[in-house]
Amino acid sequence: MLFNKECKKILLSLTFWIYSILVVIMFAENYYSEAKYPISKPAKGGSDYGLMVREDPELIMEGASASLMSDFASNRYVCYPYGFYKAVSLDKEDRDKVEEYVTEITAWDHDEILKQIDSADVYYMEHGFSTFPGYEFESVNIDKNMTYERYKEIMADIDDILGGGSAYKVDTLASRYSLVPMTYEDAVKEYEDSISEDTVTGSLARLFSDYTGIDLAFIPVFAAAALVAADRRRKMTELVYSRNISSLKLTFIRYGALVAMMFIPVFLTMIAAAIQAGEVYGDEPLKMHYMFTTTTFWLLPELMVVTAVGMFLTEFFSAGFAVAAQGAWSFLSLMSCGDKLSGNITKFCLICRHNTLYDRSAFMETYNDFVFNRIFYMVLALVMVLAAAYVYHLKRGGRFNGIRLFGKGSLFRRKA
Amino acid sequence: MASGCLAKVVFSDAKHNFLIHYLAAIGLLLVSPVVFGFSGLDERLAAIPLEIISPILGIILMTPVFMPEQNENIYDVVRSKKTSHTLVCFMRILLSAFITALLVGGLSLYMRCSDSQVTARLFASALISALALGALGVFSSALGDSALIGYMVSASYLVMDMFLHSKLKRFNLFTFSDGGTQINLWLAAAAAILITAALILRKYRR
Repeated sequence: MLFNKECKKILLSLTFWIYSILVVIMFAENYYSEAKYPISKPAKGGSDYGLMVREDPELIMEGASASLMSDFASNRYVCYPYGFYKAVSLDKEDRDKVEEYVTEITAWDHDEILKQIDSADVYYMEHGFSTFPGYEFESVNIDKNMTYERYKEIMADIDDILGGGSAYKVDTLASRYSLVPMTYEDAVKEYEDSISEDTVTGSLARLFSDYTGIDLAFIPVFAAAALVAADRRRKMTELVYSRNISSLKLTFIRYGALVAMMFIPVFLTMIAAAIQAGEVYGDEPLKMHYMFTTTTFWLLPELMVVTAVGMFLTEFFSAGFAVAAQGAWSFLSLMSCGDKLSGNITKFCLICRHNTLYDRSAFMETYNDFVFNRIFYMVLALVMVLAAAYVYHLKRGGRFNGIRLFGKGSLFRRKA
Repeated sequence: MASGCLAKVVFSDAKHNFLIHYLAAIGLLLVSPVVFGFSGLDERLAAIPLEIISPILGIILMTPVFMPEQNENIYDVVRSKKTSHTLVCFMRILLSAFITALLVGGLSLYMRCSDSQVTARLFASALISALALGALGVFSSALGDSALIGYMVSASYLVMDMFLHSKLKRFNLFTFSDGGTQINLWLAAAAAILITAALILRKYRR
C-alpha cells in the first residue's frame, strides 16, 4: 500500500528523526520540567498573593493618560511591534494628531499642555550614546465627558500612528494600567477556576499545547520540503510521473503520511504528559481525556497547515524558499504575541499562546476565536494540499516546471 | 597560477551558486528595521537584534557551501578535476565567513551611527555566534549530505536557544543579550572544530 510505503520512507529519513528529537527535547526542557511542580491551594494569611488584572476604566484612563502625556512631552514612545524594543519619535504631522487626542482626553488646549509639560518633573535617561529627557506626570486631567468606549478608540488610533505594539494597544491596556493586588479570596477563586471546571488536566493540556505549538509552527516544514524534493534529488521524478496514479491521490497520500508520522512524536509526548499528570496529581479527580482532546484540536491543525504550506511552496518554488517563508511566518507570529502570554488567541494567529496553568477565564474569553482559528487552519491546510496537487499535476503534464532559483530553467541558471 | 585558478573557481561559484544567498542575506538586513529598533540602544538592548540577526546571516551564507555537489553528476565531474575539492570548499567557507563578517560589521556600524552602544566586543561576540551557527549548518549538511539538513539543524538550534538560553551554558548564542560582557571563545572553538570536521567528512565522502 502506497501510504505505508510513504510512511516507511519518512521513517527512514534523517529530517524526521531530527524533527522527533527536537520535539522531545523541547517537551522535556520546557513543559515536563515546569509541570512537575503541582499547583496548590493558596495558604491563608499570606502577605502577597500577586497581582490580577481588573478592567477598571477609571484606573486605565488615569494611568494611560499620564503615560501618554509623558511620552508626548519627550516625543519618545517605546513600542514592541514584533516583541522587540523600538523607540518611536513622531514627525510633526503625527505629533499634531496625538496632540489633538491629548486635548480631547484632557480638555487642555495647546497652551495648557505646554504649561503642564513645563511644570512636570524632569529626569534624564541614557539610551545608547544619547541622553533623553523624561517627564513625569503625577496626575492628568480627564475630560468629564470622556467615555471609556471613546477612550479605547483614541488609544487604538494612537497605537496605529505608532505602528503597533505600543503602551496604548487596546488589548493590553487593562494588564498594563489596571493591575490590583489579589486577596486571599481572589487567589482561591483563581485556583478553583483552574481545577474545578475541567480539572487540572485542562490547564496542563493548555500549557502543553502552548509549548509544543511553538515547535510545530516551524520544524515540520523541513520534513515536508525534504519529502517533496526527494523525487527530484533521487532522480525519480520521471519514473513517478509515469505511474498510473492521479496527482491528487498521490499528493494526498504523501500529505497524510507526513502528518500521521509527524504526529506520532507529539502523541508520545502527550502520553508522557498524561503519565506525569497522573503521578503529580494522583490524589485528585482528573479528566484525563483533556490531555489528548484539547491538545489534538490545538496542535493537529497547526501541524497540518505548516506541512501543507511546506509541500505547496516546495512544489511551486523550492525547498529553500518554503523553509525561508515558513521561518518568517512562524517567527513573526511568535514574536508579535510576546506581549501577552495567556489567552493570546486571535482568529488568524498561527501560534495560540496560553503559557500558564492559571487564568482559565482569559482562555475561555477567546474560546470562540480559538475554535474558529483551528478550523480555519484545518481548511486552509486542505486548500494548500489541493493547490500543491494542482501544481504537481501541471508539472507532471510538462505545462509548468515550478519557479526555481537554480538548475535547468531557473531564474539563476547555472552556466554549463 | 594555481591560486589564480582557485580564485577563478571560487568567484565562479559565488556568481552561479551563491548569489541568491547573498541577496537573501542583504534582503534580511533591509527588512530588519521593520521588526527591530536600532537607535538609541544601550549595549544589552543593542545585543538583542544583533545576536538574532547575525546567526541567521551565518545560517543563510555558510550552510549551503556543499550544495552544488549534492548533485552526484556534478560531484563526479568535480572529483575528476586536478584542483582539490576540499580546498575549493574551504575557500568557499572562507568567502562565506568573510561576507558574514562584512554584513554583521555593516549592521553594527549602522546601529552605532544610530546612537546605539555597539562596542567592538559586542560586534566580535555577534560575529562569533554567526560563525558558530553557520559552522553547525556546514557540519550538519556535510553529515546529512543535504543543505536542507544543515538549515534544519542550525535553525532549530537557534529556536531552541531562544527558549533554553542558560541551559545551553557555554554554547548559548545570546551572550550579551543575557547580560554577559565577555566574548564566548567556546563558540569560536566550536566553529573551528565543526568546520574542520565537515571538511574531513567531505574529503572522505564516498
